Amino acid sequence: MTENLIEVKELVKRFAERAVLDGINLGIPTGKITVIMGGSGCGKSTFLRHLIGLLTPEEGEIWVDGENIVGMKEKEMNQVRRKFGMLFQGAALFNSMTVGENVALPLKEHTDLSAEIINIIVKVKLELVGLTGFEKFMPYQISGGMKKRVALARAIALDPKIVFYDEPGAGLDPITASMIDQLILDLSRKLKITSVVVTHEMKSAFRIADKIIIFHKGRVLEVGTGEEIRNSKNPYVQQFIKGEPEGAIPFKQTSDAYLKGLLET
Amino acid sequence: MKAFFGKVGETAFFVFTGVYHLFHLFATVVRLIAASFVQKKVLKREHLVYQMVQMGFDSLAIICLVGAAVGMVLALQAAYQLKQFGAVLYTGSLVSVSMARELGPLVAAIVISGRVGARMAAELGTMKVQEEIDALATMGLNPIKFLVVPRCAALMAMLPCLTIITDVMGMIGGFLVGTLGVGINPALYIAKTFDALVLKDIYTGLAKSFVFAILIALISCHQGLSVEGGAEGVGKATTQAVVISIVLIIVVDCLATAIFYYAVPA
Repeated sequence: MTENLIEVKELVKRFAERAVLDGINLGIPTGKITVIMGGSGCGKSTFLRHLIGLLTPEEGEIWVDGENIVGMKEKEMNQVRRKFGMLFQGAALFNSMTVGENVALPLKEHTDLSAEIINIIVKVKLELVGLTGFEKFMPYQISGGMKKRVALARAIALDPKIVFYDEPGAGLDPITASMIDQLILDLSRKLKITSVVVTHEMKSAFRIADKIIIFHKGRVLEVGTGEEIRNSKNPYVQQFIKGEPEGAIPFKQTSDAYLKGLLET
Repeated sequence: MKAFFGKVGETAFFVFTGVYHLFHLFATVVRLIAASFVQKKVLKREHLVYQMVQMGFDSLAIICLVGAAVGMVLALQAAYQLKQFGAVLYTGSLVSVSMARELGPLVAAIVISGRVGARMAAELGTMKVQEEIDALATMGLNPIKFLVVPRCAALMAMLPCLTIITDVMGMIGGFLVGTLGVGINPALYIAKTFDALVLKDIYTGLAKSFVFAILIALISCHQGLSVEGGAEGVGKATTQAVVISIVLIIVVDCLATAIFYYAVPA
């Protein structure tokens, strides 16, 4: 077993008494791609927000590269964040800036590099994601898939150790989505970046994952490699990976069962 | 009855938390602006200049128009009333003093809260909804430092300037109506305009407009940053920003006028 770059212990998050994360324990191995999967509302996006320090948990610890980021001051947290890159679900490019300025922003703000060097780095990063010569475009002039790639170039601008991906394939056609998957694979293999991908797209998950973690109702339900997850005996996991409407979670719910389900979480 | 008190309590709670958040934001902004004098990186000149152009220069046309219109109306109404006492000559004095002390700062602030405040709230709100604020935080860039401070600093610099322009345009408007419409001798009108005006009128007006600038920028940025829930949230925040700004501007104006009237000697 390889060493873990991120270690999460007994993480609990409640939104108004409802535990969205209910005692999460997991490790993210260094240099590998870890995929976190689960149905809508299982807490996977909330979990990701804890890892980047946008939310603070009620209980538990998050160790990133040997430091516990829970309860950290803003200033120290910003130092830790330099190790992160994050690809948001909607790309989250700054609409008032060009593609090039978007990628250059973290470089301009965090380093003292001269404008020429920043321009070169921006070119290199854009080339890495296959968008050579797109610096002058505005975010609204390019397609959704391109936006995601620009966001990825921005995320890796400062050569982070870890890149988080929130639903990288969401809202893209299958071909573009698989191109993004290929990029994730390339970055992880070539640059040895530790990747954490949150998704509910099975195909893409099995294609890229070294390790798959399945969330269910705020808990870790199953951990394993792609093969292990495929052969899992857990009925929920089977229903989830096959995408069937009937199974451990019934399609039709009586209102009592729905209420019970809500109270359980 | 219970529901009534519940509603009152809820509203009071919202008001107090709102005030608390505003003060917190204010403290952070003041600290960062102070820090910007020592460290150049805190407030980048290009961001500041961009905001100043957006807020100040681009608002010139509407500020001139509204200022002149207010001055004209004021001169016309004043002349009509003063005629009864045979004091039409004093129209110029009345217009200049009321523009500098009261109407200039107030009109400029209200126009700017509608034009610039709404823009800030909508812009930051949309950024919040599209996760751009989160993206900034993830990059280790403090959204307050990066977005709120340049906007606050720019408005604090520009609103007093716009107020002076409103004052001057109001006086010009009054002059046109007074001389062409009412028939006062131009030289006399100008003389009366400057006779009545003392330095205190101008600097109390500017002090007020500086406070209004802080109010507009803080409230609008705060509303924008606390948007939740998509397009509807942005719409609500924009409306709230303008409404709260205007209400507070008028309340603070009352207080400030009273303070200047009783406490500051001429």
